[in-house]
Amino acid sequence: MILDLHTHSDASEDSRAPVETYMKWLIRKHDVLPIDGIVLTEHRQWDPQADYRQLEDKYGLLILRGAEVETDYGHVLVYGVNDDITGHFDFTNVRLSAQELIPAVARMGGLAVPCHPGRPTIGLCEHYEHKPPIEGVVAVEALNGGSRRGENERVQHLIERYGYHAFGGSDSHLVSFIGICATEFDDDIRSIGDLVNALQGGGYRPLDFRDRLKKDA
Amino acid sequence: MHVRFEEVDVGHDLHTLSLTLSGEQVKAYAVAARMPGARFMSDAEARAEGLPGQIVPGNMSLALFSRVIAESFPGATLKKLSATFRGLVHPGRPFVVHGVVTEKHRTDHGDLVECDLVLESSEGDRWVTGTATVQFRPRT
Amino acid sequence: MAVDFDRSIIGSEFDHTVFAPVTKEAIVEYARTSGEPAPNDVTAPPTFVVRLRGHRWMPENLPKNLGRAGFDAGKDIEFGAPVRVGDVLTAVSTVHDIYEKTGRTGSMAFVVLRTLVTNQRDEHVAIIDQKMMFR
Repeated sequence: MILDLHTHSDASEDSRAPVETYMKWLIRKHDVLPIDGIVLTEHRQWDPQADYRQLEDKYGLLILRGAEVETDYGHVLVYGVNDDITGHFDFTNVRLSAQELIPAVARMGGLAVPCHPGRPTIGLCEHYEHKPPIEGVVAVEALNGGSRRGENERVQHLIERYGYHAFGGSDSHLVSFIGICATEFDDDIRSIGDLVNALQGGGYRPLDFRDRLKKDA
Repeated sequence: MHVRFEEVDVGHDLHTLSLTLSGEQVKAYAVAARMPGARFMSDAEARAEGLPGQIVPGNMSLALFSRVIAESFPGATLKKLSATFRGLVHPGRPFVVHGVVTEKHRTDHGDLVECDLVLESSEGDRWVTGTATVQFRPRT
Repeated sequence: MAVDFDRSIIGSEFDHTVFAPVTKEAIVEYARTSGEPAPNDVTAPPTFVVRLRGHRWMPENLPKNLGRAGFDAGKDIEFGAPVRVGDVLTAVSTVHDIYEKTGRTGSMAFVVLRTLVTNQRDEHVAIIDQKMMFR
């Protein structure tokens, strides 16, 4: 099963992509982007009322939700957001403590994983050069579709040194970038709970579809 | 020749611009756009502001997006245009402006086409991203 | 740098400018230097509206700890009636939003300024949301 684990809809202030248009695009591009679903990881927010089940039924694709928050070790994706987590952490705070966030989210039933770790300032690699490693990190986003040359490559060293699992996501802010990088899971994922368990356990790998899209153009 | 709404498909690539702007072109635009900031005038003036060199105004990138739309859909009307300036664009460095149709729909406000737009370096670094909504003339 | 400010400035008007009539020279010069095609010599290309800089292009009551000089971080423009030679345009600007985020260059504050542009016939010409970034 292939999921894009890092996407932004027009609920994020710097994205212009409606969720339904993402769905239509993925259906149209399915031969080059065999994506089974996406996780919406909006910037610095969590809307408990948002519900995409109608779109899931209409398009036959899975739509899960998480969040992208900002910490003193860079940006982090949070999956399995619940009232306990949002009661404890203000997602609008751009100075969350990663050492506190990541273990606490796991205790509260979710999973927080660093994204675009190779990116300057907001990626884990640079922070690990002069700070202790974060307790409880199980996976990092090894492949991010919005990263610049060299940024994804920097992550390999991190993965090898700390034994982190690796996943991929598009970090799409425009419709046409959905699914360009994704994650292939050995097991079926049907819910956010399944996703959290799978990310903790292993049995997945990042996928890069950008060359396929160039050939298709 | 005008493009008809019926001739546009989702996934349709827009007209591509491949450009390298000169410092003089950037300065001329900044003056015409009433943006005489030092950072747009010359390398020396931009460095005095702490920048690595002369930069292209974001508004000029926006105008290039509009140009791609106009050249892709002659006769259509630009209704919305957005741009996010993700990195500094400098004169003297080649870049490409391109886009793709992501949606089309008939509404009470006319026949509309939505597009994604990107301005990226020759190495593929995306410096400016954006979207456009284009309205087509109704069929007569 | 935590941006601390009085949220009552959101929605506050900081500029109201009536511009001199649009000239053919301004339209031709803008089209020539931008490369953006104008429908003809008397109708401006769409992004011509970004040249409307009022008496105050930034509010005076912004939070003091935003950071040094701002950068244009992006724009959203909705276009209405086209701009033509002779049009007398009015631009009214308000503070639309202020927020913080972190990026490649570190912590940044964003101020979104909204400008409503109308012409002498009170027709909607453009709504321009400009994002200014401070760091």
